[in-house]
Amino acid sequence: MFEKIPVEVGLTHEGERVRKNDMQVELGGPNEKEKFEIVRVSPADQIEDGRISIIGPDLGEMGEGKHYPVAIIVEVSGAKVEPDLEGVLERRIHEYSNYIEGFMHLNQRYDIWIRLSKKSYKKGFTSLRFAGEVMLELYKSELPIIEKIQITFITDPETISPLYAKALTTYEARDARARGLSDDDVDSFYGCALCQSFAPTHVCVITPQRYANCGAISWFDGRAAAGIDPKGPIYAIDKGTCIDKVKGEYTGVNESAKQRSMGEVNRVYLYSAFEYPHTSCGCFEGIAFYIPEVDGFGIVLRGFRDVTVNGLPFSTMADSTAGGRQVDGFHGISIEYMRSMKFLGADGGYNRVVWMPHETRERLKQFIPESVFGAIATEQDVRTIPELKTFLESHNHPVTSRWDAEEETGRAEDGSPRIPVFSGGDIPFTSGGFRIILKNARITADKVIIQPIKPGSPGGEHHGAKKP
Amino acid sequence: MGRKSVNFSIKEINTDLARFRDLNITIGAITREQWDEPMGPTPFPSLTTLRPWDQRLLKRYKPFYLPFCDLCCMCTYGKCDLTGSKKGACGISMSAQQSRTVLLSACIGAATHISHSRDLLTHLIAASGRDCPINVGGTGVEVEAPITRLVCGIKPITLGDLEPVLDYCENQVTQLLAVTHTGQEGNNLDFESKVFHAGMIDHVGMEVADIAQVSALGFPKADAEAPLVDLGLGTVDTKKPVILVIGHNVPPATEIIDYLKENDLFPEVEVTGICCTALDITRYSPKAKIVGPISWQLRYIRSGVPDVIVIDEQCIRTDTLFEAARINTPLIATSEKNCLGLPDLTHEPVESIISGFVTGTVPGALILDPEKVGEVAVRVAIAMAPQRKKHSALPTKHQLTEWAKKCTQCMLCRRACPNDLPVAQAIRLAASGNLSGLDELYDDCLGCGRCESACKQKIPVHSLIVTAADKKTREETFCLRSGRGAIQDTEIRKVGGPIVLGEIPGIVAFVGCANYPKGSREVAEMCMEFARRRYIVCTSGCSAMSAGMYRDEEGKTAYERYSGAFEAGGIVNVGSCVANAHIAGAAIKIASVFAKRPLRGNYEEIADYVYNRVGAVGVAWGAMSQKAAAIAAGFWRLGIPVVVGPHGTKYRRMLLGRADKEADWLVYDARTGEQVNGGPVPEHLFFAAETKEEAMVMIAKLTMRPNDTSKGRANKLANYIDLHKRLIGGIPPDVYRLVRTPADIPLTMKDEIQVHLAEHDWKEATIPDPTLLSRMVHSRKVA
Repeated sequence: MFEKIPVEVGLTHEGERVRKNDMQVELGGPNEKEKFEIVRVSPADQIEDGRISIIGPDLGEMGEGKHYPVAIIVEVSGAKVEPDLEGVLERRIHEYSNYIEGFMHLNQRYDIWIRLSKKSYKKGFTSLRFAGEVMLELYKSELPIIEKIQITFITDPETISPLYAKALTTYEARDARARGLSDDDVDSFYGCALCQSFAPTHVCVITPQRYANCGAISWFDGRAAAGIDPKGPIYAIDKGTCIDKVKGEYTGVNESAKQRSMGEVNRVYLYSAFEYPHTSCGCFEGIAFYIPEVDGFGIVLRGFRDVTVNGLPFSTMADSTAGGRQVDGFHGISIEYMRSMKFLGADGGYNRVVWMPHETRERLKQFIPESVFGAIATEQDVRTIPELKTFLESHNHPVTSRWDAEEETGRAEDGSPRIPVFSGGDIPFTSGGFRIILKNARITADKVIIQPIKPGSPGGEHHGAKKP
Repeated sequence: MGRKSVNFSIKEINTDLARFRDLNITIGAITREQWDEPMGPTPFPSLTTLRPWDQRLLKRYKPFYLPFCDLCCMCTYGKCDLTGSKKGACGISMSAQQSRTVLLSACIGAATHISHSRDLLTHLIAASGRDCPINVGGTGVEVEAPITRLVCGIKPITLGDLEPVLDYCENQVTQLLAVTHTGQEGNNLDFESKVFHAGMIDHVGMEVADIAQVSALGFPKADAEAPLVDLGLGTVDTKKPVILVIGHNVPPATEIIDYLKENDLFPEVEVTGICCTALDITRYSPKAKIVGPISWQLRYIRSGVPDVIVIDEQCIRTDTLFEAARINTPLIATSEKNCLGLPDLTHEPVESIISGFVTGTVPGALILDPEKVGEVAVRVAIAMAPQRKKHSALPTKHQLTEWAKKCTQCMLCRRACPNDLPVAQAIRLAASGNLSGLDELYDDCLGCGRCESACKQKIPVHSLIVTAADKKTREETFCLRSGRGAIQDTEIRKVGGPIVLGEIPGIVAFVGCANYPKGSREVAEMCMEFARRRYIVCTSGCSAMSAGMYRDEEGKTAYERYSGAFEAGGIVNVGSCVANAHIAGAAIKIASVFAKRPLRGNYEEIADYVYNRVGAVGVAWGAMSQKAAAIAAGFWRLGIPVVVGPHGTKYRRMLLGRADKEADWLVYDARTGEQVNGGPVPEHLFFAAETKEEAMVMIAKLTMRPNDTSKGRANKLANYIDLHKRLIGGIPPDVYRLVRTPADIPLTMKDEIQVHLAEHDWKEATIPDPTLLSRMVHSRKVA
């Protein structure tokens, strides 16, 4: 495949670092102001398939140890190649160029930073043409939907400058489109069954407004992957009829979930943590957890090592929601989903969120409505549920209005909603000559104290081996 | 244990107040005993409980026997020749006898860890109490004892909860040992099943030991940033009094540290260690120093640097007393299991013990009280240092040449050398004043000293090598990331995505002893190569030290270069031998973390999950001991393949799969219930590689599992093929067996692999939801 390339090309070179002392030349990077890479979908007649152009000095004409500006423009066309896929195709530049021995590519878009090692240069990698050839080959080989492709490398600052400004506009437009795209705007969602190799009944449903739980696959990624390999683990879901717009229930999603989970999951509410929440495998980035005492949600991300306000750490709650199950009130989520307008939409969105670690709250600042931001407590404000309750009241958090509504259904004296400790089918008892039967009784108590009558000794009865 | 459940139901109850029927009482607020996971089918399995699972594995991986000895001489009928189809006087066949020997080894290994664990636990309970809580990783670890939960169905909360776990282990080892009596078991596969059982029990024992010491001694708790500690002969400050601890059971060593701290003596005394006690003492105090793996015992003692030697148990040279006497250094033995004929001075006053040592009237003593050892060792080191003046047993360079001249070139030294090193040639060179030959031997030498025993001229061959390599020993200044213990649940969650997306090709654990074919360097090279390829690399025991004993082109050791996190390209030192349990534990936790499979007493289902889905491989490049045999067996039963170095063939049998027999590789597709080809993966369960190159290619191949996503398989194949091309040459001949769909083909190798597939009449296959257990097939609820 790469016989004409003077250095090796392979997966094993991914992640290679070229350090300053080993560097022949640097393209882009922190020392260059204007640099970028971009993929554009163009009309077929404007592309000369396989053409590689280099404008400005090539690698062999550059000074050793020096840095230069760079632009990489990849133009593609194909019947199935849509402008919506540009972002997905663009990230392949990073992946492919990193397969080249001694060619380090970091970041993306207007942040790119490329280094070529002296060793690879000495082996004959003296032209960007080689990088272009590798990319051409890999684009076409991995993505047969690309019918025509041409690549342009520019290292001349004068030529880059106007194109750089244009690229920035394109990125902005693309981001605006991604942010603006709602689940209502599209006919297809995407399912991802990659995690089924470890969690056989879990399926992710990826919509424009609901990123995959792992945070790694957007609706655009899903669209590209399903277009490239329709039989692969990422596939299109015809969303069908909308059953409930608020909860996010669709006939197509339900049917797909049923098929893919072997009937374990029959209904999915995309935007709710209750009843039929979206399942998770184990690699979700965060958890939304229901706090019954205040009728609101806490949020905790994987990296948070302290216990949360309900006294449980991430790892304990994660254990409650993993494994492709639907667990009421424990909801595995991605960070990107937390930036979505649909985030917990059916449950009240951020107006229902009462607690999250300070760092997370800061990270999501621009996505949390200003009206509720200050009323969401962090570990710096409260440590316990009673403290949380006081905090929410004093900050007039929207959930407090839900408390009043529930007041009538019965509350303990301290204001906390009562949770039954006893429940029984029939509880009959006699009193004054009458037989009274309580059906579906729920008995609540302020506190249950259980004291052992005889302290147990360590050891127990399990000493010997049991027969199967 | 011994605590009441908080969830219960009452069929009927009559009280003065009321009569209750079908009353369910759930109390959520009481958390201490709340483990609502129902008990699985096999808590505390007996010898035969998991036999059907073992038979499934052994059907695929038939034992391939390599009789190390053709005779059985275990009873007085013998010796019995078992070659060919001959049977012994008791009727035993060669295959059964080989398996019986493996079982004996595995029992010895398991007994050793369990007894170590028992001593340690008893000591820690005496010091910290039965109620001392188990804490292996704070909030990052939800499943604190995956193996114990899995095997015993117990969720231990305090140290006291671990005692019945050990009761069970001790019971099982006794039963297993009984199996090896003459005229007991007769079938080789039943012996093999019991080997697996011994291995599983061994892992329970190891887990108990490590979680107990991590909890009670304040070792790093699942800490990816555990401190970097000094490693190597060159790091020892020889101007100070030096204490050497050797062995595996850390309490005497921690008492030494405590005494030093309490008396503000730490800055004045060096605490150095060899073998696992060294690893564990740095987990207790990062100021302690690791000299090296077990092969460093002779060279370090003979250098004369230690002023007192404290030994506990396991993997200690049995001639340590003799070697210590040669350098005028007192020896303190501290374990009932290792008394070396020494007088028991446990109850003697400290002053009199010290005076006995210092005056030289007592060359060594048994002291069975760790606290007393702490004080005695420190004070003896301080008292001995000025009078010993680091008296060395090594020859000077001049003496070396004189010794070398006595050599008759009889070659007995080379014949005695386990690695067939060209010892005699090097000595001949040395006789002419050229020490380069001996110097070159240093790196590959295992430090066993057999060359010396063999020498008719009584030449201290090993000492000659160490003297010749004098400069190298001074330059041994490396570092190692102190043993971190468990893997956090959250780290496992983090790598789930990269594994299915094909960014992490697998998990490779370099474990075990230092009986390497070519010295430590190969372990370090393999670790770095797999970390560079973004595998998750784990290390433990002597291999963890070897991994840190070399520097890359930038002068960095593996632990400086790569992170200590359980992530792509991390090098994760879990700790000493007993910390191996955390590697098996991480594999088990994957089933719980991603699929929420219940662990409690549910061995078979979880082993089936791990075997079919978790791409982990154990590598014991220098496996030497019976403990290593038991550790490997514990991995086998979980379905994790183990690769050993060439000396590993002496474990008497391999467990090899037959890739060419398609019928051997059928799995159920849990989605459909159909039996489909799962591919010959992992191809072997126990494999001895001749060379590092062969091992690396095999490791890459053995990380494949039938559940691999296409992206995952493509990445595994890319590494396998790339390593094969570099180290052996050409595309491996079996790629067509390992590619299931076109998407499995590594992108950058598409052309050549398509040619290869065409040559082999390759056909596309489905990727199953794999299981060996028909009961795991989903009862399909949809049409």
